[in-house]
Amino acid sequence: MSKRSILAIVRQPALVLPSLIFPLFFAALGTSSFGRATALPGFPQVDSFLDFSLAGSVVQGVLFGSVTGGTALATDIELGFFDRLLATPTSRVSILLGRLAGAAAFGAAQALFFTVVLLPFGVSIKAGVAGVAVIVVSGALTAMAIGGFTAAMALRTGSSEAVQGSFPLLFIALFFSSAFFPRQNMDGAYKAVADANPISYLVEGIRGLTIEGFTAANVAKALLVPVGIGVASVALALRALRSRLAAR
Amino acid sequence: MSTPGTHVLSHADQAPGGTVLRSSRGIALRGLRAIVRLPSAFFPAMMMPIFQAIAFSGTFFAITKIPGFPTDRSINWFLPLAAVMGSGFSGVGVGFTTIRDLESGFFDRLRMAPVPRTALVIGPLLAVWVRTLLVLAAVTVVGVLFGARLTGGPMALLTLAAAGLGTATIGAGWSLGLAYRFRDMRAAALMQLGLFNAIFLTNAQAPLNVMTGWLHAVAKVNPFTNILRLGRQGFLGDVTWDGSWGGLVAIAVLTALAWLFAQTGLRRLDA
Repeated sequence: MSKRSILAIVRQPALVLPSLIFPLFFAALGTSSFGRATALPGFPQVDSFLDFSLAGSVVQGVLFGSVTGGTALATDIELGFFDRLLATPTSRVSILLGRLAGAAAFGAAQALFFTVVLLPFGVSIKAGVAGVAVIVVSGALTAMAIGGFTAAMALRTGSSEAVQGSFPLLFIALFFSSAFFPRQNMDGAYKAVADANPISYLVEGIRGLTIEGFTAANVAKALLVPVGIGVASVALALRALRSRLAAR
Repeated sequence: MSTPGTHVLSHADQAPGGTVLRSSRGIALRGLRAIVRLPSAFFPAMMMPIFQAIAFSGTFFAITKIPGFPTDRSINWFLPLAAVMGSGFSGVGVGFTTIRDLESGFFDRLRMAPVPRTALVIGPLLAVWVRTLLVLAAVTVVGVLFGARLTGGPMALLTLAAAGLGTATIGAGWSLGLAYRFRDMRAAALMQLGLFNAIFLTNAQAPLNVMTGWLHAVAKVNPFTNILRLGRQGFLGDVTWDGSWGGLVAIAVLTALAWLFAQTGLRRLDA
């Protein structure tokens, strides 16, 4: 099942290209537009805004890419392929976990892609190769965590349009976090929302590995936040799977 | 039972030869009825610029503290951007509608009906302008609620409307040109990407004097920088002729080019 979901991405690259191109475009725009913001009081010590942007690009790409897996599962339901799978002697849970494993593999590839592409433009990762490895694992875990939500939506609604409709929610979750600017430089209600948003801590973990170095706190944030989100989302997806199977 | 299509045709039938005005009005009304009948298609176009204005001004709140930034309110900087971008996407919406009409065969029925060709262009454009005014009103009201100030007085609304309607007109011409050429949804991504890039490769996020690097060089020659300047000036200071003429010229030239692109596409479709 995982192999099938990865092959689907390889065979239809147009589906995932936006999740690879847009984060790079925003990183390039941000570096030129906000380069001077790095001198603002409270802004983390960075060599360039691009160093600061890498974490936001990784999380943005992985979040948007995760919608693809849920949409593909919903399409399987719409086209009847899901029912054909149920007619085979396949473990029911593996249908879901296979899809999530495929999403995780793509998330890891995305994280590596952004890191490798931005390196020649001057990004330096203070945590070194070990830091890159943690960023890649964090990308995989985040993709699985968000993929859990989109899979739950797919299983609940059976509609690819409904899963696509979750895109604005992810957009909101991303923008109301510290993905594009530090929380220290936010103010008022907006800062309060960003403070409460787990995406902020995930981004800051990855960012810490890039601009500070390999510390236990940065690794914990980069890995434990997606694990926490993933536990909740996979539980939701499993519940949605049980409901769908019970309704048959 | 009357469908949107038969309604338009009956209007044209009532006017032998189909006057441009009456046919355009029929087609425009059809486009506007879609807001009520298919709100799910219009609502995101209305909500996205509102979200953009709030999210950008919250996220990038601190950039107003960069020396040389022209306002101390981030919402004053980002509201016009969101309004102009939302207007542009309202314009692009007509391309989506046209693709649906081309795919469903309704566009062929329109072409066979005694409807003047000009009405096929003016009608959708009128609908675009009404939708754009709705978007501009919604974004401005929400922006003011979030603290935006019209430093240029009521003229700020006028220049914002000019920038918004201009961008919508350009977006509509661009998207119709692509719709007539591609005739299917493959054009949708190009329509959006083209406008998105054109607007973001400007002083969209930061003023020229604050920018660094490659974007500064691109934004300086991008005509949409002038259009944004036109829409923004009443939120950053007074409305002046100096701040307006560049945007008005850019709108005039880009509108002419975009609609030439649409007209040649329509001719290709007719051929």
